Amino acid sequence: MNRYLAGFRLQTALLRRAFGDLHTLLTVPVYTLIFLAMTDGVHRPGLSTDAVLAPALMGLWFMAVFTAGDLIVWDRHHGTLEPTVAAPGSLAPVITGRIGAVTLLSFVVYVESWAVGAGYGLRLTVHHPLVFLAGVVATAFATACTAAMIATLLVLPRNAQIYQNSVSWPLFLLSGIIVPISALPDWLRPLSRLSFLYWSAGLLRSALGTHPVDDALLRLTAVVLLGTVGAGAAAFLLRKVLTRLRVLGTLGYS
Amino acid sequence: MSSPLACPARPQALEVLRRAGAVALADLAVTYTWRTWLFGRVPRKLSQVAFFALIGRVVGGEDAERFLVVGNALMACAVETTLVVASSAWERALGTMPLLVSAPAPLAWAFAVRSAQWIISGTGASLVALLLLGPLFGADWQLEMIPVMVLLVVLTAVGTYCFGLALGAWVIDHPAQRNVVSLLANLLMMTICGVQVALDHWPAPVQTLAALLPITHELVALRELLDGAPLSAILPDAAAGALVGAAWLAIAVVAFGRVGERGRRDGTIEFGA
Repeated sequence: MNRYLAGFRLQTALLRRAFGDLHTLLTVPVYTLIFLAMTDGVHRPGLSTDAVLAPALMGLWFMAVFTAGDLIVWDRHHGTLEPTVAAPGSLAPVITGRIGAVTLLSFVVYVESWAVGAGYGLRLTVHHPLVFLAGVVATAFATACTAAMIATLLVLPRNAQIYQNSVSWPLFLLSGIIVPISALPDWLRPLSRLSFLYWSAGLLRSALGTHPVDDALLRLTAVVLLGTVGAGAAAFLLRKVLTRLRVLGTLGYS
Repeated sequence: MSSPLACPARPQALEVLRRAGAVALADLAVTYTWRTWLFGRVPRKLSQVAFFALIGRVVGGEDAERFLVVGNALMACAVETTLVVASSAWERALGTMPLLVSAPAPLAWAFAVRSAQWIISGTGASLVALLLLGPLFGADWQLEMIPVMVLLVVLTAVGTYCFGLALGAWVIDHPAQRNVVSLLANLLMMTICGVQVALDHWPAPVQTLAALLPITHELVALRELLDGAPLSAILPDAAAGALVGAAWLAIAVVAFGRVGERGRRDGTIEFGA
């Protein structure tokens, strides 16, 4: 637990000193405004809810991928990966604690999109607050775990940032966060169920609706399960990647 | 007989531009390989364009899809070219600013071309998106339209590059803000320039602001081209975009001049940042 907390404290201190790294948060109000403008005057049930919810989920994901996804690469550039790996504790809890700090801060995305929605004259009511709260927490967990997996995957390739930027939009498309997956080709739709964002978006959308929420527990379990798979993959990959870097002697760039 | 080490009083502008261009091409080769561009950058752009175009399917059918695919495909080059904001700031971190300032040539000449790699990669990204995704979302380009389409994409890329260059001149003194500034510029263009919603969705002052950005005019021209408008109708909008881009270039040249002057005066052109 100390290692999780150490990672959490370190990242909180870094974010406080380099607030510019949080520029992703600027995108949430603008995407909310864009989506609300695009859906203005379109009478389709749930569309305005999606127009507010989608930018929040996008912001959460962008924060995780851009800020958390850079952690190991940043450590290598600054020569801090070697001493961290040489320390007696395992690296995985430190990384997870650091990503947890980013994800916790990312809760502000919901406030941002809600505020823009309210400014646009849209009043969203959370009709199922418990489901909503559980969905938000599970989504944060799954986001952090998936980001940890991506952070690990980005260590080895040269020009990793190019690939880092490439995962987000296909994921948003697959997850049906604003465009229903029925708009996707038939062969792509089964893949949506492998995205935690698909389950998160559906659950949060339902929690904002007036109707009873169907399969709340099942959908919540899917989010947590996919997050756990991400965490497991992150731990496995981290071991492999560190072994590879030790063999190559490239834990640091210098 | 002059010494071989003596600097000419008025160095050839073309030589400075040529060498800055060589830096740009070298940066392009470092940033992208064919593999990272084709399998990293292009899929990212295509999926973003498809994401917004599919919203058109939800909100308004084929016309909306066509509107959005064209807008977002052209926006792809704008996003790429505003990387000039960040790459201008790189000179601070690389420690090359003092050399550029002390060289016997205006600072702007080197900066105007040293990030031109983004024009090449941005133009490529937009053309791939327009030609590959366009037909899937109702933008059926005729063969004879393609030369004009290429010209409009190049004009957008160059014009937006000039806009980013002017922002880059400000960012040189505030390098930590480089990503925030380019992000805000992109979000501004994406919101008000007719990319996602029609220009007249916004109040008149916002439309006036949009008219100060090159992509607004080139996007109108590109949609006119797709609608089969004659060249005489397209040309005024294309020229307006080019004119606005030229104005931003002029602003950038003046701004870079001031960066050099101010840096010499207050001693802030340090090695590294």
